Amino acid sequence: MTENTSLINRKSGNTRPLLMLGVDGVIALEQAATLPTVSEHVTASGKWSREVLVPVGTKELIAELTESYDIVWVSEWGANAHVAFAGVLGLPPKPWPYLPAQFNKLSRIQRFAGSRPWIWIDDPLVDLDPLPADPQGLVLRVDPARGLVGLGKAVFWKLTDNNPDTDLR
Amino acid sequence: MSEALEEKIDTGTGYGLKPNGPLRHLAEVGPGTPYGEVLRRYWHPVGRSSDATSRPRKIKLLGEELILFRTRKDGTAALLHPRCVHRGASLFYGAVEDDGIRCCYHGWVFSPEGQCLEQPCEPGLGLHREKVRQPWYPLQERYGLIWAYMGPPELKPLLPRYDPFENIPDGHHLMVNDAGVGGGGPADLDFNWLQHWENVMDPFHVPILHARFSGEQFTAEMALMPEVAYEYTSNGVRSTQLRVLDESRVLRRVTEVMFPNIRVVPSPKLSEGTTNMIGWVVPGDDTNFRIFTVAVSEDPEFLSKLRSTHGGKPWATLSEDEHQRMPGDYEAQKSQGNVSFHADDHLSTTDQGVAMIRRMMAKQIRAVEAGSDPAGIIRDAESETVSITGGNFLVPTTSSGT
Ligand code: FES
Ligand SMILES: [Fe+2]
Repeated sequence: MTENTSLINRKSGNTRPLLMLGVDGVIALEQAATLPTVSEHVTASGKWSREVLVPVGTKELIAELTESYDIVWVSEWGANAHVAFAGVLGLPPKPWPYLPAQFNKLSRIQRFAGSRPWIWIDDPLVDLDPLPADPQGLVLRVDPARGLVGLGKAVFWKLTDNNPDTDLR
Repeated sequence: MSEALEEKIDTGTGYGLKPNGPLRHLAEVGPGTPYGEVLRRYWHPVGRSSDATSRPRKIKLLGEELILFRTRKDGTAALLHPRCVHRGASLFYGAVEDDGIRCCYHGWVFSPEGQCLEQPCEPGLGLHREKVRQPWYPLQERYGLIWAYMGPPELKPLLPRYDPFENIPDGHHLMVNDAGVGGGGPADLDFNWLQHWENVMDPFHVPILHARFSGEQFTAEMALMPEVAYEYTSNGVRSTQLRVLDESRVLRRVTEVMFPNIRVVPSPKLSEGTTNMIGWVVPGDDTNFRIFTVAVSEDPEFLSKLRSTHGGKPWATLSEDEHQRMPGDYEAQKSQGNVSFHADDHLSTTDQGVAMIRRMMAKQIRAVEAGSDPAGIIRDAESETVSITGGNFLVPTTSSGT
């Protein structure tokens, strides 16, 4: 699949790390969650709607993450990740970039990121094929019954600090 | 090249295109493939009951060649591997006898469960014949279909019942069709089964393909762009489509996929109420499938009459030119490729239902790999009847909320 990434890579001069975020199992849980969730009715510009379980604290955690990271949605929700969750997560009106990928997302993430450092948080389900030993960024996998919030902020920061290859801050 | 010059060149041409190919994990059906192993945890229709006779018949199911027949004495349907365990002649040339099938080469006889009953050339008609077993699969017959289970024997589930077919009203008939109802083309569909199955969760194509392109194939109501609510169910994915007909009425159309390959698509000609038919999208191999449909109706011809037309003409009578001008489901889905390059899809807003199926498929692959039952497996006789929610419902505007 082709991606128009050249402008972002070349022009931005931005060195903030990218945070690549999956949606299903990360923001929106499907199964019996093992932490508190709120059932949310989300829609894609009125074309369709779904009820999803969003863990309590997701909104606050995302807000905090945006202080250090530029978030990119990488999921089958495509552009609708931002549209559908804008209200629930209090997202800015200008949508964050998105990569419409459902499985085996690594090469698209690498292409999009170019030389920028990145972290990718997702449900392990998306890796139909195994990831290479060196994915060139930091890959974190959630428990899909707990999502992003379940990773725990402390663990999250620790992991980024411990990664010598990526100067993430 | 300087940056300024590079900016002027539109590089979005076809040059250097590198296709990413199919999502093989989901699409492939053979033994040992990820979804092939999921499929093998369920019962599948292999043919109509009338397909099993005393004449051996070649069947291809989930990438495996098989021989279907029915014994002469007590009429037991049987599904055996074709290659005789003796030295490999095909049982397709065998002779069906009272209790089994006799291989044409040296006359070994096999029961429906593969036991060797006789070895006529061997001393004592085969003193060691219990040492060999012709590979076989368990069968059951229900709703006019023969069902096979091709998975691990110790994990064989119950063959589910479906509520529309359990209490048939007086004057109604149970009927079976294997000619590709809903496929929009031939009975033997010559491309990957998943392209057809996932289409069930793509209601947005209807106003385009089935109205704008093919001429109104169903009804005027179906040509309206729907607003859809998607949800996961315990055994699949459901779409509830709302089409506003006028100020007071909304058409609420519910379609379902149930794992691993079932389509619950109510009549696109909009007969009202819970659907009277269910279809099974059964892969022969990675690039061939059949659709077995069971229905209940007062009209014994209900299923054959469902076949949609293109500009009023049946699919089989179209010229090449008409196929091109009035494409339907077959043209759209076959042209995605023998196995579509899913990894090159640009999933967009209206692909949410397709994406939900693919995600749920990946989950079942993980479940099977982890040794669990995939979705919709029934082991408890109390819950062997599956309730169907698909249908067409006319509702007043006020109570249509999704
Ligand atoms: S517009 Fe959907 S396949 Fe071309
Ligand atoms: Fe269609």
